[in-house]
Amino acid sequence: MTGVSNPLGAEVARRLAPQVRFLFGCDVADPVSALEDMDFVHADTRHAAIAKLIRQLRIDTVVHMALTVDSAQDGRASHETNVIGTMNLLTGCTGPGSRVERVVVKSSQAIYDASPTDPSFFSEDMVGPEREGPSATRDLREVEQFVGEFALRNPHCDVTTLRLGYRVTEETTLAKYLSLPIVPTFAGFDPRLQLLHEEDAAEAIVRSVLGEHPGVFNVAGSGVVLVSQAIAIMGGRPAPVLFPYGRWMARIGLRALTGIFLPGHLADVLAFGSVADCTRLAAEFGWSPAYSTRAVMDGFARGKAAEVIEAPSPPQEYELQVFLQRRRRQELRGHQPGSTSLVTRR
Amino acid sequence: MTAEPAGVMTEPKKQLKKRSRKAEIVKPAPQGLRVPKAVRRLQRNAPAYAMQGLVELSTRLREATGHEIIDLNRVMGFVQFAYQQRELAQRGTAYSVDDFGFDPQWTESFLSVFKVLYRDYWRVETTGIENVPAAGRALLVANHAGVLPWDGTMIKTAMFVEHPHPRHVRALVASLFMGMPILSWFLRRTGQTVGHPDDTRRLLERDELVLVFPEGVRGTGKPFKDRYRLRRFGRGGFVSTAIRAGAPIIPVSVVGSEEIYPMIADLAPVARALGMPYMPVTPFWPWLGPLGLLPLPSKWRIQFHEPIHVETYPPDAADDRNLVMALADEVRETIQKGVYENLKRRRSVFT
Repeated sequence: MTGVSNPLGAEVARRLAPQVRFLFGCDVADPVSALEDMDFVHADTRHAAIAKLIRQLRIDTVVHMALTVDSAQDGRASHETNVIGTMNLLTGCTGPGSRVERVVVKSSQAIYDASPTDPSFFSEDMVGPEREGPSATRDLREVEQFVGEFALRNPHCDVTTLRLGYRVTEETTLAKYLSLPIVPTFAGFDPRLQLLHEEDAAEAIVRSVLGEHPGVFNVAGSGVVLVSQAIAIMGGRPAPVLFPYGRWMARIGLRALTGIFLPGHLADVLAFGSVADCTRLAAEFGWSPAYSTRAVMDGFARGKAAEVIEAPSPPQEYELQVFLQRRRRQELRGHQPGSTSLVTRR
Repeated sequence: MTAEPAGVMTEPKKQLKKRSRKAEIVKPAPQGLRVPKAVRRLQRNAPAYAMQGLVELSTRLREATGHEIIDLNRVMGFVQFAYQQRELAQRGTAYSVDDFGFDPQWTESFLSVFKVLYRDYWRVETTGIENVPAAGRALLVANHAGVLPWDGTMIKTAMFVEHPHPRHVRALVASLFMGMPILSWFLRRTGQTVGHPDDTRRLLERDELVLVFPEGVRGTGKPFKDRYRLRRFGRGGFVSTAIRAGAPIIPVSVVGSEEIYPMIADLAPVARALGMPYMPVTPFWPWLGPLGLLPLPSKWRIQFHEPIHVETYPPDAADDRNLVMALADEVRETIQKGVYENLKRRRSVFT
């Protein structure tokens, strides 16, 4: 399993470890939490060493999660990780001595690249031409092309590609953007937003590892929320100030204003909206994400609100607690409750 | 309140002191000038007093002149609109849109205004509304004219004013408008979606009433001299979609939308620079500025024709080009004939 150090990878590894005989994880960074059942090694998917690992360890299932879609790093670096890494990994899976029977690739809904000419729902076959779109979209299209070729050349191997919907957790750019107190939005646009819960994402990957589901699948929550609605749920206020044409200008402006750098595909989603059709997933897996988009949004907002409650309580409440404690102690010492009042003391 | 009494008391003294420093006396915010109670009561009751006054005035005027000068039904329409907007503002985030981004409650709040346009401004006369089913899927196919798509709005309103079972009509719009600010947001929220075969199929499968303008922007942008002539009906894609989805096609003729903005010229270079399909020049636009956007009060007639039951064909008939083109021509002929007939029934452009 590659990319175990990102939070979703860690979650998948945690769920997968008790259900498989042997789990071997690799990543360039340290894992976020230690997992006893998993062997971990620092390995880069771009190196030929990965092929050697697959052969020597006689690995039969590869879960490829080392794909960066939502990151502030420049296009060249993520191109290296995504395209070259996947190519190298898939090369390692082929050839003599390889026992790989199943490959699961984590892709993203970013592969569709929202635009106003698109239909309201993306089904799995609506991927645009390879050389168009923002850098992450182009990378993903290239990656999926490699994966498709691999599946054609290795018919004995089940290849599952999961296009995960946009997620809101603490780390994602979308979540950081929606949590701003005043959210700059594209002037005159209020698109639909479809989200996927982190648990559902992990569950989908685990199911495709354990079951036999070859093909490409969209994975996203049911229903939609409007961007303005999502902002209101988070307790922020939308400010329609970003210029909708030439979105790179808006992205630079947003970085200057708030320090958040939207990836190109996310800027398109926040202008035109991207909603995936998950009927194929439901038909093939017999399972659908448990959290609807609205539930994901409400849950995330509640998590944020809980943080606020943990913050220092207002001074009145503190004083009140001290007063109540003093009173209780006096009662314990045998004072009559009425005797503490001012009138009797006088 | 009962959170860890012991914990607070066993804290080191220094820390306790630090925390208790936060306990400042909170003064209530200064309230500014408070108006007397009588004035406040007057403020609260102002809308009711205004309505009473208006009713009184209306009655007096009716008695004095013998005509209905202020029609209270119309006034109530606007009052209702104001209240609905207030209600919408109060619902906060407690609403949901469907997967296409359609917000029915929000859309219905505009109906009271559109009804005034329908009844009093364009005096729309609708015939054949009984041809529209009260439930189940159907594809409405209409002619498109007038620079702005008011005809779509009026067909939607007609379903609410005339039909015994009001339904929302979901129109398909050119993807071009989905890329424009404000329009993209407004159109989606009022139930429109992109004119893509995939979207049409999905809407019909949900048993919705779908409205399509096969003429598209070529229809709305036609010059004034050709106003009653229908343009080419695309490649008949709507027929294939209807056959596949098993939905009857209901042709709709709209007369009157042709005259709301008499387009005498098209500034194509300006339109191209702004990314719009056409840039109309009318006797009022762009000379009078925003006032030129006011549509003329022509007399409208909408006719819903007998449904063409394409659902009787097998689904693979959708690939039969001959059949599809023949059906598209039939629909076009029906609408064209309906336009000419309704023109004859109309005495003049404005009556």
